[in-house]
Amino acid sequence: MDFVQRKTADSVVDHFLKEAAEKEIPLVWDRYEGSLPQCGFCETGLNCRDCLQGPCVSHPFKDQNKVGICGKDKDILAVHSFVRLVVQGTMGYLDQLADFAKDVEAGKGSPKRKQETTKLIKDIQGMWGDGSTDVMKKFPKALIDGWKAAGIYPDGMASALFKVSQKLDGGVGNVEETLLWAFKGALMGCAAQMLQGRLKTAVFGDTAPTNVEVNLGVLPKDQPVVLLYGHFSPFLKQKIADAAKGKKIKVMGVCTDPFVPPYYFAPVTNYGSQEIPLMTGAVDLIVTGDQCVNPSLAELAKVWKVEVVPTEVLNRKDVSSFAKEIIGMAQEAFKARGEVARDIPNIKESGVMGFSAKDIHADKVVKALSDGKIKGIAILAGCNNVKFTQDQEIVSLARELLKKDIFCVSEGCASVGLAKFGLLNPKQRDASCGKGLSALLASLGKNVPAVIDLGSCENSGVTDFLLDMANLGKKPIKEFPIVACFPEANRTKAVARAAWTVAMGIPTYFWPFLPVTGSQKTIESLSGFCEEKFGAKLHVITEKMDYIKKAELLVKSLKKA
Amino acid sequence: MKVIKVDPEKCTQCHACDLWCGIEIGSEKKELNDAIHEKPQPVPRVYVEGNNFPLHCRHCEVAPCIDACPNGTMRRDPATGLVYVYEPTCIACWMCVMVCPFGIIAPSPSIHVAVKCDRCRNMEYPICVDVCPTKALALEEREEGATWYGYAPKRSY
Repeated sequence: MDFVQRKTADSVVDHFLKEAAEKEIPLVWDRYEGSLPQCGFCETGLNCRDCLQGPCVSHPFKDQNKVGICGKDKDILAVHSFVRLVVQGTMGYLDQLADFAKDVEAGKGSPKRKQETTKLIKDIQGMWGDGSTDVMKKFPKALIDGWKAAGIYPDGMASALFKVSQKLDGGVGNVEETLLWAFKGALMGCAAQMLQGRLKTAVFGDTAPTNVEVNLGVLPKDQPVVLLYGHFSPFLKQKIADAAKGKKIKVMGVCTDPFVPPYYFAPVTNYGSQEIPLMTGAVDLIVTGDQCVNPSLAELAKVWKVEVVPTEVLNRKDVSSFAKEIIGMAQEAFKARGEVARDIPNIKESGVMGFSAKDIHADKVVKALSDGKIKGIAILAGCNNVKFTQDQEIVSLARELLKKDIFCVSEGCASVGLAKFGLLNPKQRDASCGKGLSALLASLGKNVPAVIDLGSCENSGVTDFLLDMANLGKKPIKEFPIVACFPEANRTKAVARAAWTVAMGIPTYFWPFLPVTGSQKTIESLSGFCEEKFGAKLHVITEKMDYIKKAELLVKSLKKA
Repeated sequence: MKVIKVDPEKCTQCHACDLWCGIEIGSEKKELNDAIHEKPQPVPRVYVEGNNFPLHCRHCEVAPCIDACPNGTMRRDPATGLVYVYEPTCIACWMCVMVCPFGIIAPSPSIHVAVKCDRCRNMEYPICVDVCPTKALALEEREEGATWYGYAPKRSY
């Protein structure tokens, strides 16, 4: 990978990069540059460490070590690199769900819709067991039949997850069959995301489109500030917010679901700049989950005297007392940090986040497609990756698509990046969208922005919307002009997400390219074989291109309505 | 004269040097994802040998390969002292391959030339030294009279 000249498109982050350079504080960008060039074997997927006879590589230029010691050739090595990422990513979704479901089953909190909650818990238990869930049955019958025929309909944790992980351990197989196993694992992640989104609304109530403010300017100067980093139980978040209420303590978030009704945690920044809020001096305490959290936060926290409280510890405390303890610690930290200078740039942006599928009238979208008012639908996901100028890819790509009348929805931290640049701000909608798209968005409601945020990765807003479209349009999902794009993908969860998006029949573009490029067979199977089985390709693009060319690629892939 | 100095204690046998030599020097396309699929297979000019030792051409003060070459293809650049293959006149006789005491010259039947490290003499900096993650490789001035760097037999005349 290459040296990136411009680190970020976010001027707020730039301000702190200079300070970090002067104070010689290493941030994610410094560590990236120190790692260049990255290992060519790992980048191309031609490596394996699944046993102790290795580590093995498939050396592209030497004849004596072309094949792993156990016999995995370069095609298998590359496809296993993909499988490893999908398995870990799927477990990310399952872990989030398990945490939440366990607390609900234990009787924590009083669910708003008790009967629905009980049904969902039963569904979740079915998913762990033999995979029989009502939620997967929501997919169109033709899609389910296709998955069953391919053998990848998720039928329980053991056969969908444990078994796919064992493909890595050996056995005789080929690239295509191994890929199908990866998709089977990914579909379990899909089920988990759908169940978690539904459980969240059943327990806490529906999320409504909410006016939010994002970026560092939302940090207050003279109040205790608690930042929630990463993913952890929504109950803990609710209890922290409960304990903070009335005490003038601000609870905000980074890389975490901003909505746990009735609370909302302002997204202070997104993944690539997650270290920066600490540098403002305004943060007194951070609560950290595991997923998406940089271990470097611990070192940075020392410099600015910030308390760090991890949540995913071995001996977990009762949620209510833990929350109260956290708030107590935040108040103490605020008092102790009186003399730490605050440097909060006055930059923030407004936006509307928290749409769910029911807030978009899918029938209007279907009609706009058939009328030609909009040319297609784009799903924007992924977060930030230090291999690109932060936020530049996703924001520029979104702007190109909006100009071309493509209806854009976003998921997860992609939404925060777009929000920082005003793409979730209804006031900037008409300036950024083509005429047909503007008209459609205006018809969807009073305060609808250019790009519609359908929730964090703990909700299945995008999938629910697609299911609505398939229902109303009376067409399989793969026949709609939809394309998915991860312009700055990073986490393994994004790889699993891309896999099940393709399994639904949506062509998916993924940057940076997946580590499978050492094997032409794997690249071709992710295109041709996936197109044959699911009607869509998972594109592996190594050619360097700017966002304009990327936007053209996406638009070209949209099938005619 | 500048030569590549190896610190075997820092070498982790990661093969970054021979991979990038193959990409940057050996391939046509010069890009990782293209070079690895190229035919004929690119040939790296550095060999990661034995216990942590990337082996390059020693650019010997008295070079057996230059002596063995029948038509002056193997030559020494007077300005830098580096030994290199002048590819247009190579007849693929492999005399140099046989006579090199270090075995670092590779025959390349597909492109009909002998292939050898030329310390990236047409580039600003050798690629292997650039990419080595542990800085086991370094570009340094050859010490005067140091026979460790090359094959310099004591002559009695």
